[in-house]
Amino acid sequence: MKKHLLAFSFLLCTISSFGAGYLINLEGLRQVAMGGTGTAWPWDASTIFYNPGGLVRLKSIQAYASMSMIIPRTAFGDPNGSAVSHKQTFTPFNFYFGGPIKEYSRWALGLGVYTPAGNGLQWDNNWVGKYVVQNTQLKCFFIQPTVSFRVTDFLAVGAGFVYGNGSIDMSQALPVQDLYGNDGQLKMHGNAVGIGFNTGIQLKFSDRVQMGFTYRSQVNMNIDGGSAKFSVPSSLASSFPNTSFSTQLPVPQVASFGLGVRPIDGLTLQFDLNYTGWNSYDSLRIDFGQNTAFLKNNHAPRHYQNTLSPRFGANVKLSKVVSIMGGFAYDPTPVTNGYVSPDLPDANRVVLSCGVTVKPAHRITLIAAFESTTTMKRAGSYDFGNFSGTYQTMAVTPGIGLYYNL
Amino acid sequence: MKKIYFFGALALLFAACKPSVNITVPPTSGNADFTNYLAIGNSLTAGYSDGCLTVSGQLNSYPKRLFDQFNQIPPKAFGAVGGGAQMPFIQPLLNGDNGFDTSVSHRKLVLQFVHNYCTPNDSSLSAVPVYPYIADPKDMIRYNWTYNTYNNGQINNIGVPGIRVADYPVANYGNPINPFFNIFAYRFYHTLTERPIDELYFRMHNFEPTFFTMWLGSNDVLGYALAGGQGNGVGTAMPVLGNFYNPADITPYSVFTAWYDSALVAALSTGAKGALINIPDITSLPYFTTIPSNGLVITRQTQADSLNRYWRSTLNLVFQLGANQFIIKDNLGNIRQSVPGELILLSTPQDSLACAGWGVTTPIPQQYVLTTDELQNIRANTYNFNQFIYTEALLHHLAYVDMNAYLQTVATGVTFNGITYNANFISGGAFSLDGVHPTQRGYAIIANKIISTINDYYSSTVALIDVNQFHGVLFP
Repeated sequence: MKKHLLAFSFLLCTISSFGAGYLINLEGLRQVAMGGTGTAWPWDASTIFYNPGGLVRLKSIQAYASMSMIIPRTAFGDPNGSAVSHKQTFTPFNFYFGGPIKEYSRWALGLGVYTPAGNGLQWDNNWVGKYVVQNTQLKCFFIQPTVSFRVTDFLAVGAGFVYGNGSIDMSQALPVQDLYGNDGQLKMHGNAVGIGFNTGIQLKFSDRVQMGFTYRSQVNMNIDGGSAKFSVPSSLASSFPNTSFSTQLPVPQVASFGLGVRPIDGLTLQFDLNYTGWNSYDSLRIDFGQNTAFLKNNHAPRHYQNTLSPRFGANVKLSKVVSIMGGFAYDPTPVTNGYVSPDLPDANRVVLSCGVTVKPAHRITLIAAFESTTTMKRAGSYDFGNFSGTYQTMAVTPGIGLYYNL
Repeated sequence: MKKIYFFGALALLFAACKPSVNITVPPTSGNADFTNYLAIGNSLTAGYSDGCLTVSGQLNSYPKRLFDQFNQIPPKAFGAVGGGAQMPFIQPLLNGDNGFDTSVSHRKLVLQFVHNYCTPNDSSLSAVPVYPYIADPKDMIRYNWTYNTYNNGQINNIGVPGIRVADYPVANYGNPINPFFNIFAYRFYHTLTERPIDELYFRMHNFEPTFFTMWLGSNDVLGYALAGGQGNGVGTAMPVLGNFYNPADITPYSVFTAWYDSALVAALSTGAKGALINIPDITSLPYFTTIPSNGLVITRQTQADSLNRYWRSTLNLVFQLGANQFIIKDNLGNIRQSVPGELILLSTPQDSLACAGWGVTTPIPQQYVLTTDELQNIRANTYNFNQFIYTEALLHHLAYVDMNAYLQTVATGVTFNGITYNANFISGGAFSLDGVHPTQRGYAIIANKIISTINDYYSSTVALIDVNQFHGVLFP
């Protein structure tokens, strides 16, 4: 007949981490400079990502390395005021090595190590949305051994196995205050692994017209044994034990179509369509290793929708040494209204890009690319936590790289 | 040169990449004029929280919250109507933060682990009076409003904890010669011999407010409820001394309406506009809802059997495994089992419940129980009082803040910016440790409700408050 008057009903009502903005499209700099197009035309060894079928089209084995800097910032406004996320820099990198196993061989082998996703957002610890999120960060890279086979001069195919590895970090304030009014905090960190594949068909109608189809599978990034650390007033410590957590974060499947044409010598135009299967991300489920009356497993619905992104790009060969590129893309958001959360708020994105390649020596090519991404201002709400406002995200992404033909 | 253009363009690109979003609406006063704001009310208006009045409670009172928002509106242009609130905002501030006065009944409550003496290994986080208690001797000195003579002794918040509408005609309300004097009125009332209605007139003509809020009436039913429904309850009580009514009883309707109207006439006497806030449903406060009336939990059949034997001769009850209704004593002196919906008060001694068999072999005394009849008295009178306040608002063209309806939605849970607030004791976040008065966040939630009602009524655009920037319940 014990009576515990403190039958708490307190729940973590929101663990919202990781919206859609984490998928980046920076796997090859020339492609970045051309609005993210690259499914049809095998420009360099980064075709291991863009279309594994194109790898066998390379003249020789190539070593490729590049690095970009993403500097994203997001602004939030509600009728009471506004906030801007802290400045952060992410440096996705790519290494590719591969090509035909010998000159004119019908077989090609390759290995890619690239960064398909990686982003984050850091708000002021005391900002208005602190109980929804303070900080999120996701980093991952994929390793993809690839084989490509030229069936005929017209048709080449390729496939790669994908192993993904990464980490996520998230923090949010907890609405339990100590005697000085300081909030509690939850910090989560976990390492993620996942597997998948990447396949492509490359069609060469002529030297002037090429086409590609690719399918990249979903990669479920599984986090097991992540750490969840609670800073709470000591009287509540037993209710919020430091524990482990597990969750799953999908890098979605993408089906792409690409068309490349070269109407005149020196000018290449490309068009890509990416159909991204975001609807697999219908909820985020976080299971804690130890549950208490206060600490329950968390299930946040997402209900993302699939998106279709058109991309356009052009490459102009100014001389044997220098080429310039430009492009643009429109990337509609998978996030439906009611699920726009401040972890990585997403809205329809407009991408503008440009770049230059220089060939200082026989086998070496240097690339520089610059991309700017701007979202439309979006008034959105995160109904789960009754948090609403207007967001805008802007990111500038310079990148440099080089490749060397063996 | 070209290089400079190139890098200039690049620099521009980087500079342009800081996004900004501003959707704030410029605050305006609409048809209202917030230049001089006066808050009239009781403990809720004074900023009472955690069982006491403290200086931090006063600084986080809802009138202070409202003033801060009214103050964001630019002052009116010369000759124009309306405008924002003008500094200063003066409250009769205390010095101490442990509660005022020195009596235990107004001592600050804090959370602490408490062991029941019968179950020493079983401790629970409970609200207990702060110990040691250190009173600030300055707080026992009457507030010297001549400190701000340059403002003619202005006070913007005349909320007096404990005051009822029925107290408005009581002379010597703040005077210690009166056995029922109110020590909070004693602290700052202009003269000790006056009636609250006189104080209100004095403030109106001294300060000439252009806008007022009036939140009166809660104590006209709350005293009865806090006392477990002692007293008449049906509104036919007679004064116990002079024109003073028993504070533990419900104010007769005719007395309530007469003096609410008089207070309102006083508040309107300088032509101010304002808002009337109605009486919350006090039976949904944590003070009344935390201890379940079916808290008699039986885990073994032998316990049920022995209880059945124990009560067989008098009550002929059937106790079962699981939750059973507590045994209570009602106001007629009858010992019976409580029925679902009846409320056990938070004031019920926890040791007695846990260790002395209260509610099990000893009936819970009547002063800790609100029975069905008593709840009916509270709800019917609250409804009638609120109907009167509503007609007064209509009649005098004042904004009517239906706090009663709003707090019922809060009781079931409202979510702001990632936190769900409800009326659960301690964990709900909206109500303080006394189970009756809000936390700082609760007061901000209340202020937002008042603001949105004012905005609707006066076509103003007073900004809402970010509730989460204030304190909720503080844990050790």
